[in-house]
Parts: sequence; C-alpha cells; structure tokens
Amino acid sequence: MAKLSLLWVDTPGLEDLDPALVAKAAGMALDQGGLLEAAVVTTSQEQAPAAVRQRLMGLPVAWLELAAEVGGGPEAHRLARAAVAVSRAAGRAAKGTLPPVYAPQPAQSVLVAGAGYSALAAAWEAAAMGHPVTLATPFDSVDQAGADDDPEAVSLLAAQLPAQVDLAPNSELTRLTGAAGGFNAWLSTNGDAPQTYGAVFLAPSGELVVGCEVDGLDPALCRPVSGLNPEDFAGPEDGWLHVAVLAGTAEAVPSYSFSAAMQAALALAERPKVQVSLLFSEARVAAPGGEKLFRDCREAGVLAVRVGPGKLEVRQGGRELAWADPLLGEELELAPAAIVLAEQATAARPAWLDNDLLVKPWDELVPDNPRLAGGRTSRTGLFITGALRGTSPGEARRDEAASAAAAMHQALTGKVVPMPAVRDNFCASCLTCVRTCPHGVPRYTVDHIQCAPAGCVACGACAAECPAEAIAPPSWGNPEMFSSLEWGLALAPEPKMVLFACAASGMPAVTSLSAQGHQWPAGLVIYPLVCAARMSQLLLLRALEMGAQRVLVAGCHPGNCRSITGNHKAMAKIASLSGELAALGLPTDALEFLPLASNQTRELASAVRAMAQKAGEE
Amino acid sequence: MTNAQLDTPVLILGGGVAGLAAAVDLARRGVAATLIEREPRLGGRASQFCCKATEACARCGACRLGELLAQAAQLPQITIYTAALAVAAQPQNDGWQVDLAPQPGGEIGPGAGRPLRERTTLNTQAVILAVGGGAFNPAGKTRFGHGRVQGVFSALELEAMLSQGALGPDGLAPAKVAFIQCVGSRDASLGRLWCSRVCCGYALRMGRVIRKLLPDSEVTFFHMDVQDYGRAWEDELPLMRHQMRFVRAMPGEVTAGDGGPQVTYALAGEQAQKEGFDLVVLSVGLGPPNGASALGELFGAAKDDDGFLTADGGPAGVFVAGAAAGPRSLNESIVHAGLAASAAAVRVASLTEARHG
Ligand SMILES: Cc1cc2nc3c(=O)[nH]c(=O)nc-3n(C[C@H](O)[C@H](O)[C@H](O)COP(=O)(O)OP(=O)(O)OC[C@H]3O[C@@H](n4cnc5c(N)ncnc54)[C@H](O)[C@@H]3O)c2cc1C
Ligand code: SF4
Ligand code: SF4
Ligand code: SF4
Ligand code: SF4
Repeated sequence: MAKLSLLWVDTPGLEDLDPALVAKAAGMALDQGGLLEAAVVTTSQEQAPAAVRQRLMGLPVAWLELAAEVGGGPEAHRLARAAVAVSRAAGRAAKGTLPPVYAPQPAQSVLVAGAGYSALAAAWEAAAMGHPVTLATPFDSVDQAGADDDPEAVSLLAAQLPAQVDLAPNSELTRLTGAAGGFNAWLSTNGDAPQTYGAVFLAPSGELVVGCEVDGLDPALCRPVSGLNPEDFAGPEDGWLHVAVLAGTAEAVPSYSFSAAMQAALALAERPKVQVSLLFSEARVAAPGGEKLFRDCREAGVLAVRVGPGKLEVRQGGRELAWADPLLGEELELAPAAIVLAEQATAARPAWLDNDLLVKPWDELVPDNPRLAGGRTSRTGLFITGALRGTSPGEARRDEAASAAAAMHQALTGKVVPMPAVRDNFCASCLTCVRTCPHGVPRYTVDHIQCAPAGCVACGACAAECPAEAIAPPSWGNPEMFSSLEWGLALAPEPKMVLFACAASGMPAVTSLSAQGHQWPAGLVIYPLVCAARMSQLLLLRALEMGAQRVLVAGCHPGNCRSITGNHKAMAKIASLSGELAALGLPTDALEFLPLASNQTRELASAVRAMAQKAGEE
Repeated sequence: MTNAQLDTPVLILGGGVAGLAAAVDLARRGVAATLIEREPRLGGRASQFCCKATEACARCGACRLGELLAQAAQLPQITIYTAALAVAAQPQNDGWQVDLAPQPGGEIGPGAGRPLRERTTLNTQAVILAVGGGAFNPAGKTRFGHGRVQGVFSALELEAMLSQGALGPDGLAPAKVAFIQCVGSRDASLGRLWCSRVCCGYALRMGRVIRKLLPDSEVTFFHMDVQDYGRAWEDELPLMRHQMRFVRAMPGEVTAGDGGPQVTYALAGEQAQKEGFDLVVLSVGLGPPNGASALGELFGAAKDDDGFLTADGGPAGVFVAGAAAGPRSLNESIVHAGLAASAAAVRVASLTEARHG
C-alpha cells in the first residue's frame, strides 16, 4: 500500500490552521515536496493550482474541500474537525491504492430490448458512442412502431441506425440478471444460453388504451381516437350529426392524450354538418401547442364542455350523455351518433420483471423519484424508458434516451468505480446483502458473493446490514468508520454531538452553510455519508458509547433517496433503537433523523442548534 | 489589447439546471465543455426555489441543482466561468468564434466555477443555448395589483420567502392565502397563447407547504384547469383537493381592502363577488428568454412562433436546452439537456473524425 501524505493547499478559510498539527492529528505525514505516492489534498480538484494537479497526475488522491468541511468556530474545534475530515479522506485515498476498483473496458456491448421510438433512440445513442449494440425486437423488422408512436418518426430513426447495431428480430428478453458491466440476458432466439452485456435498455413498444372515461357507454357508438377516420363522418343536408369526444370525463387524462383528442375533435369539426362536443373534467393543455389547439377547436365550432370528474351521466343504454351546465344552470343532454374516446399509452410489464431475479419490486426499481429521472432505474446499468415507464409519446422519449445513454456510457467507461470488498472467509452466505443492495450489485454465485463490476454507488447499505462485517464499499467498513468517528469524538469538546450527513442532502447543506461562515457548535463532529443507508444500530450505539450526547442523521426526504430506501432504513433503525435508549439510561431523543433537501440550509442549522441546546442543558 | 484565447469543443451558455446538466452529460460522454454564466452565481432560477416536501418529497426538482453543482465540480472535463457574457459570435470553418466579456460582481464561491477575469476569445465546435425562460413580470397584468396592493406577491417571491423562512411560524403567518393561476399564460389579451406547464405544480405544492407550516391557514386555488405533472401527481390531487380550496374561476382583479388584498371573481353562472385574503400569490408563467432577440442576433438562433429558441432551422452547431426552448419543469429541463448534449457530442465527434482523415 502506498504511503499517504497530506498535501496542504492554502485556501481562504484555512489561514489559521497549522498544517503540521492537522497532519499529526490525522496520523499522516505532511508533504514536504518529496516524491508523492498517495495524497489527501485540502482543496477540490477544480480549485487546485495547475502545478498541484500536474504533480498528482495518476496518483491515488482524495480531494477535500477542507475549508467547507471545517466551517467556523474557535481554532481548537476547527483543528479537530479538520483532523476528522482529513483522516476520513485518507481512507478514500488509501482505498484508491488498492483493488478492488473496477477499471472498465471501453465500448462494452449494450442490449436494447423493445421496439418503437424509445428503443430506436436508445440503440442510436449507444451506437453513436461506439458501443456494440444488439437491438432485440419482438417484430420482424425494426421500423415497426408501437401504436403510441409516430410511424414516420420511427421509420426515419430506423433508417439512421448505424451499421454496428446488430438486429435481432422476433426476439424477446425473457430473463435478466446482474448489474452494469455484467448483465446476463436471455433472449428467446438464443435458447438457454445467456449473453453478457454491459448495459440494458428495456423499451417495449406501447399500445393505446382507453382509460378515464365513464362506464356504460354503448360499445356500438364508441371508437378510440386512434381508430378514427374523420372522412367517415358527414351530417345530413337538413340537420347535424352530433359527435361527442370524451377526453377524461371520469378522471383527467395526461396532456398528450388530451392533445390527441383535441386533434380528433378539430378534424371532425371540419367535416360538413358535424357538430362536435369535447367533454372533459380538466382541459389538459400543457403539451406543446395545447392551448392553441384548444382555441382552434373552439373557433372551429367545437363545444367545450367541462364536467366535474365522474359527473357525466350515461342514459338510454349508453346512447345518451347528460350533465349539469353551470352557466345555464340546467341539465343538458346529448344523444351523439358517435362517441370518440381519448386514449393513453401503456406497455405491458414483462413477466420476468416481477420474478425474483431483479429482487426489487417494480415501485423500487422505477420509483417516481427525481434522482432517477431520464430512464434510470435503481438497478445501475438497467434503463427502462418509454411507454413502460409512462413517458409521454413523442420528443420526451428522445430526450429520455439521450439522457439515459450518457449515464450508461459513464457507467461503462468511467475511470474508477467503487467495488465493495467481500471477505469470503467471513461471509455467512446469509444473502442479506443481495436483498439489501438497492442497486442489485452483490450476487450469489456458486459459493460466494460476487459484485457486478460497475453497479455500486457506495451507499453502504450492505455494510450496514451484513451481520458478519464481510462486505463494504471502499472506506465504509465498520473498522474505518469507527476509528475516524473515535478520532473526531475524542478531539471534540463537551457536549459532544455527531451529525451524519448524506452526500445528496445533508452534506451539501453543511458545505453551503460553512461557506457562509456558519458557526457550528464546538462539540459537533460532522461525518459525511454517501447515503443514510450506511447507518447501522451498531454505528449509532458506538457514537453514543464514544461520548456523543446527541446524534443527528440528515438524509433525504422520503421519495428522494438515490438509493431508494436508504433514508427509510435509517429512520427505522433510529426509531427502533430510540425505544431502547431509556433502558440504557440515555435520553429517548438522543437519536434523530432530519429529512432534508440540499437547499434546506436553514432547516439544518436550526436542527443542529436545537440539538446543541438540548445537549448543553444536560 | 489582444484577447485571451481558449479552445473548447462545446460552449454552453447558461448555468441553470439545463446548462449544468448539458455539461455533465457531455462529460459523461467524454466530451469537454466550457460553461459560461452571465450572473455572478450559478444555478439559475432553481437557486431561489424552496423545497416543497411535506411528509415526503414532492418531486419539485429544486434540490437537483445541488446534485448537478456537485457533479459539475467533480468532473475534470467541465470548465465554468461565471460573470461572463458572450458579446460577439462569428461562424467559422468548424464552428464558432465567440468573444466573452467579464461582467461585474464576479467572486469566487465554493464549488464549481470561477469568474471570468479578462476578455476572452473562444473557439468552439458547438454551442448549447441554455439561457432559461423569462418569468412573466406580473406588472404586465396591472389588474392583479402586484407592486400596488399590499399583500400581493409573485410566485417567485413566494419561493424565496419560503426558502428563507420569511413565511411560516417565524415570519408572516397569513390565515387566508389565494393563488391566482395562469398569470401571463393562456392569455389572448397578452398574446401569450401557451400553458406554462409548471405553475399548477409549483402552486399546489407551495400551497401544501403553507398548510403544513401553518395548519390553521386556508389556501384557495383560483384556476381554469389543473395540468398533469408527473406520474404520482394524479394520486396526490384528490388529497390536495381536501387540503386546499379549489375554485374554478379566473379573478377579474385584486384591489386593496381593509385587512388585505381583495379578490374579485365570479363562479360560473353567478354574480361577481369580492373576497378578502391576507396574501395573494400570482402564479407567473414562463415565456421566451429575455435576451432571445440578442441571442438570435449573436448566433442566428431560430425562434418558434411564440418566441422560444429552437435548434430546428437554425445555424449548424447551435443547440438549445431547457426552458429556453419552451416551458419546462426542472426535471424536464435536465432530461431535455440530454438531447442537446447528445447532438453536440455527435457533431464534435464527426468534425474531429473529418479533421483526422
Ligand atoms: C415562480 C416559478 C416557480 C417554479 N417552480 C418550479 C418547481 O417547483 N419545479 C420545477 O420543476 N420547475 C419550476 N419552475 C420552472 C423552472 O424555473 C425551470 O424549469 C428552470 O428554471 C429551467 O431551467 P433552465 O436551466 O432552462 O433555466 P434557468 O434556471 O432560467 O437558468 C438559465 C441560466 O442562464 C443564464 N443566462 C441567461 N442568459 C444568458 C446569457 N446570454 N449568457 C450566459 N448565461 C445566461 C441565467 O442567468 C440563468 O442562470 C418554476 C418557474 C417559476 C417562474
Ligand atoms: S450480508 Fe454479509 S454475510 Fe450475508 S451474504 Fe452478504 S456478505 Fe455474506
Ligand atoms: S454499497 Fe450500496 S450499492 Fe454498493 S454493493 Fe453495497 S448496498 Fe450495493
Ligand atoms: S425534489 Fe423538491 S420536494 Fe423533493 S426533496 Fe428536492 S427540493 Fe424537496
Ligand atoms: S400550468 Fe396551470 S397555471 Fe400554469 S399556465 Fe398551465 S394551466 Fe395555467
């Protein structure tokens, strides 16, 4: 293992700290200009002078925005916090000198399973970045669109597919295991033999279904928007042909669906002697051009009828519609010659997704979580896009494929990806890590736990749950964490407190507060985590045992965790441990979880203040 | 005096979520980019926004700015200048030559980005315009009393008030709050014939935050229609209908009353009525970027019928990302930037290939 040094770059906010003292407290040598092997640097890579970056080229380095992590306050306390931050970073730099990290091969193969605009866009993107691509489509040619796609856009994109896209027609994905860098995929055309891919896009073509309309309509009168031929409609010489277009009368429809219904209404209204009524509970005009289309409809003579959700009545065996008109204050009736129904795009979820191969239920694989926008799933390297995900037809699907492809390329070619270390001789084969990992990284193969090459985000959930201390991502094992926590708490004055801060929420809030010169309480040890998932009861107890009077865990709001349930896991542990605290003679509110967003600096500052006040009173 | 010279494969204008996401996506694709932000600080609009979580994250996307800033700071392919404005641009063989001028107020903050210090000439193969959309200035709708009637705020002001804690138990504690929707959107009298997509979402979410901060308050939502806003939205709407009062009516005016602003509105088929509130929020919409015509002149960028920027029909090598291309939420802007990054990366790759043989 390479020798670690502290390379001190003076930045504003560090003037009063003695580099030699910090290095000593952190148990490291201060760089004296000799030959460096591995280093902790006190500034970010972005802000380091070019000469420093040059010198460190190719070495294992942990960059540290020390000034931000230290914050304000008396010098002695700043020194203590600096020592903790540096010794923690040392863990990172040290791990950088060791396997296991994953050094990916460029241009790994990508599987796109599906058809239609989303699938083609994904294949096009992956090929444009030089990855060999297999496009497995259930149809016999690639230019077949789903009913929800624009056939013209699909054949245009199909014609642009580069030659390195390997086409597998009449082929469906039937089973999938693994994570980024190492998926095994079974294709129906390949019999029992799985193929290995670095990343997988799942983008089945969508179909259009009628939803959100009232029940009991006469089927003989009904036709879906997509099955409409306006040419079929013309009124009698001496009267009107009435057509009702229902666009979300039981429940509002999405705006793309409403736009399609308005287009149908407009086309019908342009037919001779046809009177169109557009009925809806909300005019969903948010799709591009929607508001203009709405006005065009009304100018063309379409009657726009707003009925409360579920307030449309169906009579006469489903041939008559009735509703209360608020403007006229009376009930109106309509017996249309035809009823046109708005449709929404869906795709059937492949059955294999629900078996235990992917371990996670659908809601955890594709949650409506802002951190997994753009086609991402909780399974690193697996992207689910288009109709199956509920993405609106059209350009949004192209955007989604491009955004997902950038993440895919990074996962397959990024420089260094953390790989959890597994100690086989400690492992009890209990499979807890397999079940716990939100990203599907550890797998059980033959007789040991093996980790998928590029899937780990170092959330630490496995390390927190493993009963045998047998698995942990670099620098997040119990020994490393306990020792740096001990350092911090030993140096902190009374009352001692710990703030565990998640890298997505708590830590950015800490950094911006520190940058504003915020004064943290003297005895506060700030311990950054990748994710609140790393919290374990053992870690919480050790913090209390080492003298912390209060522990605050600042993680993401429910539904915002990049590792899906890391925050829930931490909350549950804190809740159950809090029940035991009284028996140990500790205050029952010694442990607390603060749900936070990275922009909620004020909330963090006041929670820390409240904690310090309580601790100070004891 | 000669300008400093810089070469960059891609130049991104605008350091809001869309510009940052474009830079991050380009870096993920292995393409270096230089991002310039006109203001002293990065972040665009989202830096003023509050978190709209109550019991759970409301998926408003505001905190994704923090994530993007952290990623941008870590990726060595990204160079960021703040307080930098493009003042001249000329097409050249393989792209563009752009002159940058430093703007006042630039200071070194934490994280990514440093201010531009000197006039710089930059050669680039592709340009991404991520300059954001303009928020409607509520003064353009005088009858709603903004700036004239006390207690009338724009939604932008409410975002800032909530994020600074100026509204809630420790600040203003209005008992009756009204949101007026579609201010500067869906409005023929203003010639703004589009729905801004985001204001139903942000207003109802901020309404819910107010209800949580001040449980005794009453929140009224004056609207024409409630738009869709992501996958879980439809499940949340019924609950929100219980937490807040939904009134389907567009108010005619807001005037100063005895205890606060008074809203005049008429329900369908009824006489106009006046109702007093403590706070009235105008849900302003998104429009074309304020400097759209200046950018049009600089880069010859094309505009759509409503004045938003578009890459279609514009000059080669100019792409558009985020709300500059039409009303978009933060999450949508971030995903939208993925396509601009893809197009720019493809262009850079093909130019490089052409140059080397
Ligand atoms: C009141 C209000 C509330 C909103 N709330 C939400 C919400 O809760 N959730 C949500 O998803 N969306 C919300 N939105 C929408 C949100 O603001 C946009 O989606 C988002 O800002 C778009 O990001 P952007 O990066 O495209 O643009 P912006 O955030 O506007 O960023 C553009 C950046 O470009 C810079 N710039 C401009 N011109 C130049 C130039 N010539 N050179 C260099 N830099 C330039 C600007 O200074 C700015 O930093 C809200 C909008 C409003 C008006
Ligand atoms: S949780 Fe630990 S002991 Fe159990 S299988 Fe995983 S590594 Fe082995
Ligand atoms: S650290 Fe997180 S992502 Fe990595 S293997 Fe463990 S649980 Fe999975
Ligand atoms: S997405 Fe919005 S509501 Fe959710 S945590 Fe982030 S800022 Fe808060
Ligand atoms: S999103 Fe809602 S408030 Fe905004 S313009 Fe559309 S309908 Fe009006």
